[in-house]
Amino acid sequence: MSNDPPLLEIRNLEKYFEESSNVLDVLMRREPSQIQAVDDVSLTLEENDSAAVIGESGCGKTTLLLTLIGLHDATGGDIYYKGQPVSEFDKSDWREYRSNVQVIFQDPFNSLDPKMTVAESLKEPLKIHGIGDRDRRVREVLEHVELSPPEKYLGRKPANLSGGEKQRVSIGRALVLEPDVILADEPVSMLDVSTQAAVLNTMKNLIDEFGVSMLYISHDLSTVSYISEVVNVMYLGRVVESAPTEQILADPKHPYTEALVSAIPVPDPHYNRERTEMSGAPRDPVDLGEGCRFRDRCPAVIPPDDLEIPQAAYREVIAFRERLARDDLTLDRVRAELDDSTDTDALAAALREEYFDHDLMGENDAVLDTALSALAAGDGDRAGDLLRGRFESVCEQTPADVTTDDEWTVACHYYDDDTQIEEKRVPTTD
Amino acid sequence: MSAPLLEIEDLTVQYRTNQGMLTAVSGASFTIERGEFFGLAGESGSGKSTLAKAIIGGLDDNGEVTSGTLRYRGEEIQDLAETELNERLRWKEISWIPQSSMNSLDPLQRVSEQAAEIGRTHTDLSDEAIREKLKEMFDVVGLQQSRIDDYPHQFSGGMQQRAIIALALFLEPSLVIADEPTTALDVIMQDQIFKYLDRTKTSTDTSLLLITHDISVIFESCDSVAIMHASQVTERGSAQAVHDNPRHPYAFMFKEAFPDIREPKRELEVIDGYPPELMGDVDICSFADRCPWAVDECRQSAPSLDPVGDDDATHAAACVRADEAYELYEAEGTDPDGTGRTIAPEEDD
Repeated sequence: MSNDPPLLEIRNLEKYFEESSNVLDVLMRREPSQIQAVDDVSLTLEENDSAAVIGESGCGKTTLLLTLIGLHDATGGDIYYKGQPVSEFDKSDWREYRSNVQVIFQDPFNSLDPKMTVAESLKEPLKIHGIGDRDRRVREVLEHVELSPPEKYLGRKPANLSGGEKQRVSIGRALVLEPDVILADEPVSMLDVSTQAAVLNTMKNLIDEFGVSMLYISHDLSTVSYISEVVNVMYLGRVVESAPTEQILADPKHPYTEALVSAIPVPDPHYNRERTEMSGAPRDPVDLGEGCRFRDRCPAVIPPDDLEIPQAAYREVIAFRERLARDDLTLDRVRAELDDSTDTDALAAALREEYFDHDLMGENDAVLDTALSALAAGDGDRAGDLLRGRFESVCEQTPADVTTDDEWTVACHYYDDDTQIEEKRVPTTD
Repeated sequence: MSAPLLEIEDLTVQYRTNQGMLTAVSGASFTIERGEFFGLAGESGSGKSTLAKAIIGGLDDNGEVTSGTLRYRGEEIQDLAETELNERLRWKEISWIPQSSMNSLDPLQRVSEQAAEIGRTHTDLSDEAIREKLKEMFDVVGLQQSRIDDYPHQFSGGMQQRAIIALALFLEPSLVIADEPTTALDVIMQDQIFKYLDRTKTSTDTSLLLITHDISVIFESCDSVAIMHASQVTERGSAQAVHDNPRHPYAFMFKEAFPDIREPKRELEVIDGYPPELMGDVDICSFADRCPWAVDECRQSAPSLDPVGDDDATHAAACVRADEAYELYEAEGTDPDGTGRTIAPEEDD
């Protein structure tokens, strides 16, 4: 048994999209931009197991789901179902896979056909897959998802069901083919809190009592502990941390996970939670290049060993360099606000005003000054080189995964020298 | 000088439908003081958004305040005409952060132009003064002042939301009504938004009426709370009193339905059924059919919102069993008869 391949395994999965190019791009022979929606993601789902993928909008979790059900073709890596790579599936393999791997979508209000009764909705997948004894199966499934007695619901159309009941029908529809794997995409996020817990319980029962395996995809860390023992946290296409749910909630290691956990509201007026230190939003996943994806927002980005600089000031330099590299500085607007738009000294000063709240000292200050002057004079490349020469961070190289004995994996340079993540090494923010 | 900022007293709002008068808000009462952050909670269908719309005269055409009063700084405003609301109250006294706020900026106008239009309609300020006020508020919500002349599409989603907050706040209103202002946002962005809302509380003494289904956000960010269920205010009071000493079954079951990451394994409360649609006068407790402790009396008349007699004078609950329900819940859970949800006992007695 233990030598069986895992039920579902994702190995180094990659899904890139090419940004659509226009005539000008072709004429200029510009390479199309790459949207790196899913980048080198690995996950394993054993039989009767559950795993969660958590991340903010735009982190690639939905692309991951769509790739898993074959609506996108992977551009790298592979998905293995019972040891067999999906990329080598023939038509009948796909048929079997699609009946064994089912999806519950986020929006129960739009995922059911409004013209079909509950019975018709549930029988449809059975018809498609040529399975008989439909009446009995449909009744059983309705009992499993706690829509009982089934007679009360069989003839109803979605308009006559509450949100929670609709989502139970969607779960039933996924369950009626007796799948091995259910992929659940934000299954409770559109439900009222009064029914949220009941639907979570129903899904948990599917895992515990019916031996289904579940991949739970959500933006919501606060409910994940009710479904899944293991959490994978995604940021801009990559899994940055994966660990047992309770541990990760209590003691997140990666600075991003820490920011995410600490931003969750706590329903207690006596608890004095600090508001987030983070600003802005994740950038677009376009041409991300090397390095830790979180470095432009990271409250603990790592300066070179020999550089003396306060963390807050260093963060501003890193964020500025990122924007410079991405050609994302608002040079024109800053220039337009000047009295004399040809005055490069004034432009350099205005840029400093716009992007830097903290003062730098000594050589740090001098390098920034020179770089801003170069930028103001139109030489962005030189500005970039100057700043990199002085301020380059180890975070500009992609961090490797570090895994502990107790299945805690984190991809952050703070843990580079440490194969055992015994205690959190990320300094608290200033 | 002593009148509270906003007093809602025994307010009933109904919609005309083909089936008759649908009651969305029934006999609601609460008060918002100056500088207070007030949270109005409830699941969908509770009437919380209708109540908020009634305050600024923004009900749909078939909706009307059929009884009760809305007093703003002591003056009754429920019958004010549209022109009066526009000239005297909207934006400069009471402003609004809408629910689907990503779509509420005009994509064809610079943010500064939208501000100018609001300012010209509702105040006598010069365009220059309006720009200055908008710049100040951009600073408060963490946007660069130089970006007031940007078009909405030049902002990311979270920045648009902050630009909307800046527009709601730049005329220094005394009351801001925010209807699910962060529901579509991720938690980190939500926390950023509340960081800026907190800042306006300290820098401008603005009151906030925060409407949300998420009681975690209210307990964290608001001074006071009212919890609505199917048109009725079930319980209200200071956030601490309602949290520590809840009396109405809906209030404490609703509160217990929310996850708390500090206790990832705590069992979450389930409230069976859903809020009823109520036609005509509501003369029952609207929660009776979902309530494990309901008695005949609950269906004979609408319970009045009575003080519960603890340290907080504003703390009140509308439940005939308010003095015992929470103790029963703590002792026996939501299954007072020993039937139903829990595993059946081995022997019947």
